[in-house]
Amino acid sequence: MRYLLFVPLIIFVALAQVATAPYFPLLGVTANPLLVLLMCWAMVRGPRETMILIPLAGIFKDLITSDPVGASVLALLPVVPLTAMRERWPTESEFVPTLAVVAAASLSYDVLYMMVLTAVGDGPPWLQSPLRVLLPAALFNALITPIVYLPVRWATTLSEMVRPGIRVPG
Amino acid sequence: MRTLVWLLVVGLFALLGIVLSQLGALDPVKNGALTVTSPLERGLRAAASPAADFFDNVAERQDLEDENRLLRQQIEELTAEIASLKEDEFTAADLATLAEVEESRPDDEFLTARVIARDPSNLKERLAIDCGSDDGISEGMVVMSEGGSLVGVTSKVLDDFAWVTLITDSNSNVNAMVLESRAQGVVSGSLHDGLSMDLIPQDAEVEPGNTVATSGLGGTFPQALLIGQVASVRGEPQDVFQKAEVEPAASLSRLENVLVLTSFMATHLASP
Repeated sequence: MRYLLFVPLIIFVALAQVATAPYFPLLGVTANPLLVLLMCWAMVRGPRETMILIPLAGIFKDLITSDPVGASVLALLPVVPLTAMRERWPTESEFVPTLAVVAAASLSYDVLYMMVLTAVGDGPPWLQSPLRVLLPAALFNALITPIVYLPVRWATTLSEMVRPGIRVPG
Repeated sequence: MRTLVWLLVVGLFALLGIVLSQLGALDPVKNGALTVTSPLERGLRAAASPAADFFDNVAERQDLEDENRLLRQQIEELTAEIASLKEDEFTAADLATLAEVEESRPDDEFLTARVIARDPSNLKERLAIDCGSDDGISEGMVVMSEGGSLVGVTSKVLDDFAWVTLITDSNSNVNAMVLESRAQGVVSGSLHDGLSMDLIPQDAEVEPGNTVATSGLGGTFPQALLIGQVASVRGEPQDVFQKAEVEPAASLSRLENVLVLTSFMATHLASP
């Protein structure tokens, strides 16, 4: 039932990203709100729902961009194993590890994405990419994390209060 | 264990999708998805446009932006006209060659297309237009701005849509020349560093403000198609080649309509 709400939300974020992100560049790069949302989602609510949402979001995004279908799915895969950092983080804070994993997920996303592009003969210049794309994109995505993280956290807390039977990790 | 299984299954699924995409098997699905989402994308973009303008230049007032946009368009049109006129001024031999080139291909025919999306990737410079193979577009067709300057080439064509790789894409290379000095080189895109013209002979005279246009070499682009103007020139006396930064004539980040040159077919020369 909850996926009736989650799936349209993820689809909308993917669509909004494709439609508007190129018009809001910072440090020469655009943000990846879809990645940030999925990462925050996995950190706050656990990876189970994200496992369903990642293939859907990735496929949808690839269908409406010039990417081969599956490229974004592949690039989003590290989101799930990266949530393991939450348990291993030395402090009780949830937000700080979220910032760190968003940056890490951004880096892994871009590297996997570049590998896919290179494999299909559309590869970007690897030597220029770390300084011009990978690091600025990781920073930009970390910067927008609070904007995404707080609503996810509040919505989760709210749903927990309404339905106390649901255990919310963290 | 569950995560590992998920990674394997979804990863294999993604790889299968990539292979099918490369084979073109998913093109109808992509075409359908774009048909459904392009109006929504247009709406979202229109809704975000004021905010984008705001971020673009916080200090500027709206009327100043409109005036600037109009002036840029006029400059682009005039520069394209100058490029065309300069080309006409060159030697009779050049003109004869040009005439031969013109005779060898039919009159230029254009198709007007609307830009419906930009690729959000940080690694690619592409935009989608609302014309595809059903409208007579094929891969490798030259795309120009309304002002007549080079925008890019069609790189992926679906039934009703096409993706255009911009000249600023890091994989884009265009044989070009500086009209004032006839110096030839290659205009290449890069990752967020604009356009640059490489392989300019060291003895060629290239100055900021010079006009850069396609040279026609290689047969991928027609001759004398405006690309932009030289912004700066780099090169030490010991260097083999000079390098120039080129400011594109077309406002590539804010294109709304483009012209697809349907009458020019790129020729790919085989190695001798």
